[in-house]
Amino acid sequence: MIPNANKETKKRNPRLEDIKDTLRLLIKNKLALTGLSITSFYVFFAILDIVYPQYLGVGPGIVTTLQRFTGPHISAAAVPSPPTFSNGWYYYLGTTYYNIPLLPAMFAALYNDIWDSALIVVSGAIIGIFVGTFSAYYGKLVDEVVMRITDIFFSIPFLIFAIITVTVLSRVFYQDNISIPPLTIVALSLVVIWWPTYARLTRSITLSVKSQKFIEASTASGSSRIRNIVVHVIPNVLSPVFVQISLDIGNVILLFATLAFLPLTFLGITPLTPELGSMISTADPFLLGPGWYAAVIPALFLLIFTISINLFGDGLRDVLDPKLRR
Amino acid sequence: MELKYYIIRRLLVLIPTLLGLLLLTFIMLNALPQSYLIQQFIPQKVLSSAQRQADTQLAINTLGLNRPLPVQFLIYVNSIIHGNWGFMYPNASGGTSFYTGPVLAGIFEYFPVTLEIAIFAVIFSIILAIPLGTYIGSKPNSVSDQVGRVFSLSGYAMPTFFLALLLQLIASPYFPSYIYGQGYPKNVQYSFIQNGVSQPTHMLVFDALLNGHFSLALSAFGHLILPVIALSYGLLAGLLRFIRAGMVDASNQEYVKTARAKGVPEKQVLKKHVRKNALLPSITVFGLVFSSLLGGVVVIEEVYRINGLGRFGISTVSGGYIQFFGILGTTLFFGIVLVLANLIVDVLYALMDPRIRY
Repeated sequence: MIPNANKETKKRNPRLEDIKDTLRLLIKNKLALTGLSITSFYVFFAILDIVYPQYLGVGPGIVTTLQRFTGPHISAAAVPSPPTFSNGWYYYLGTTYYNIPLLPAMFAALYNDIWDSALIVVSGAIIGIFVGTFSAYYGKLVDEVVMRITDIFFSIPFLIFAIITVTVLSRVFYQDNISIPPLTIVALSLVVIWWPTYARLTRSITLSVKSQKFIEASTASGSSRIRNIVVHVIPNVLSPVFVQISLDIGNVILLFATLAFLPLTFLGITPLTPELGSMISTADPFLLGPGWYAAVIPALFLLIFTISINLFGDGLRDVLDPKLRR
Repeated sequence: MELKYYIIRRLLVLIPTLLGLLLLTFIMLNALPQSYLIQQFIPQKVLSSAQRQADTQLAINTLGLNRPLPVQFLIYVNSIIHGNWGFMYPNASGGTSFYTGPVLAGIFEYFPVTLEIAIFAVIFSIILAIPLGTYIGSKPNSVSDQVGRVFSLSGYAMPTFFLALLLQLIASPYFPSYIYGQGYPKNVQYSFIQNGVSQPTHMLVFDALLNGHFSLALSAFGHLILPVIALSYGLLAGLLRFIRAGMVDASNQEYVKTARAKGVPEKQVLKKHVRKNALLPSITVFGLVFSSLLGGVVVIEEVYRINGLGRFGISTVSGGYIQFFGILGTTLFFGIVLVLANLIVDVLYALMDPRIRY
């Protein structure tokens, strides 16, 4: 009997220590911390919309149309009115077109923008991880075919391709009498064009992981290829993918808002759709008059979010990439 | 291997990529019902049902719609190679259509406008980025470096449409006639016709300069200033970041230490030893950013109402009809422009850096 055989009281957990290390470095990085705190402020309001919808004063359920903020006062001829502090927090930033109060409308739009973008990036990353790791691990013909396909996606600007995908998807759904909210169509089409980024990223990492000793050992001990990929390769791929996700969310939100901003009439995005891009686009005619803030305030709101999430992603990359670690 | 063969090989690789792009778009469009395509070939006037039937049959036969999908694709590719990129038809609803006629002619009509903006944006960002990047990169971790870092981050984070709107808002009290490319090229084009200026390039500034009409060139250029600034912001941010990183990288090299040790003045060290080596890799940033530059053009043209290839592309999907040939043609053309730009960047890099041999 070996003494203390079952006594593993102080076993070091390298993965946990690594995470602690990362967090410590991240907190030291002032810019990244600022980005993280502003981002979490935004995300907090987006989550609040699900768990406590009443804070927007609209009763249960998620806001799907901005009409709920105006009630009977909606009017297509209304012009933006300046901020007032006497009518409650709804009117702190004034109203925009249609008599819609700007502040709750922006919070309602935040829900759509953040959740749809997160959905796009995460599902794109999942598809990309599987395609990238499997194609790199299986190699040869599979790899060649998959990489040529991703080449195609990179040979055209994302925005153009997104416009085409949105067109086709919306008309196909319309043809089949499937009614889907226009923002969901935009999100779906962005997933279609976004996965190749992750496929390329994971492929390059998988190629370097594949030739290492622990994969060889695992193969020698009888693991199948699929088990090797799922158990050994994918965990190694995750950390760069997280960095890419944090850098990408800003881009995707921009692309999302841009698609809503462009006059894609067939899509059915109305002025009452809670989305920052379409709100800015609808307030555009007031830009050169006294109501200019109706277009500028939502855009600034969006800009602050994208800057902070980029700051955070930048800091995260500095911390997670050992080459850049100072 | 010689550069010549490298270029030829790259050009050959481009063909399957572009064909794949075309095939992908083709398959996607194939998901739409065929009636969308066929109705474009039937005149709007009320016809007898027999005439309608005959027209439908003619369209189906010409496009090969009753044949299998691969054959349809081959028919389309064949006509593309022969220079027939299809037609764009007037709107069904009777509304004014953006463009009606052959797709290829339309692309060549609208592309120069877009190209002009892109050329000026690239020049503008290079002129600004080199001195600024050199300054920032020579003082890493100083206050100006932090400012530059936040600036280049905001370049990535800035929605293009917001910057465009903001510039309009700022410029509107001072230059009210220049805040839109409104009427551009129309207004300016009229004065071109009045003055009898020929248009060999279809880029208004260059045309006016070629004909020696400086006032016209100035007026055309004035309409371009805001779009160019809005478009070049992202490119500028990317360039600045790359040049800064290159400067920091190069100033840690041994040859810079040697230069300093042998007593070369600091200005000379920065100019001759550090900057020259820092600028080389930043050529590659064009390959990375050009895609978003082309995407940004779409938004910029929409905000400033400039009739370029971006608006052309949007008009193919948002009119009464879906312009099948318009979509396919625009996709292919954007693809060609992007891959050729990437190729040029790679070749330039190889030409400038003699260490790189393919």
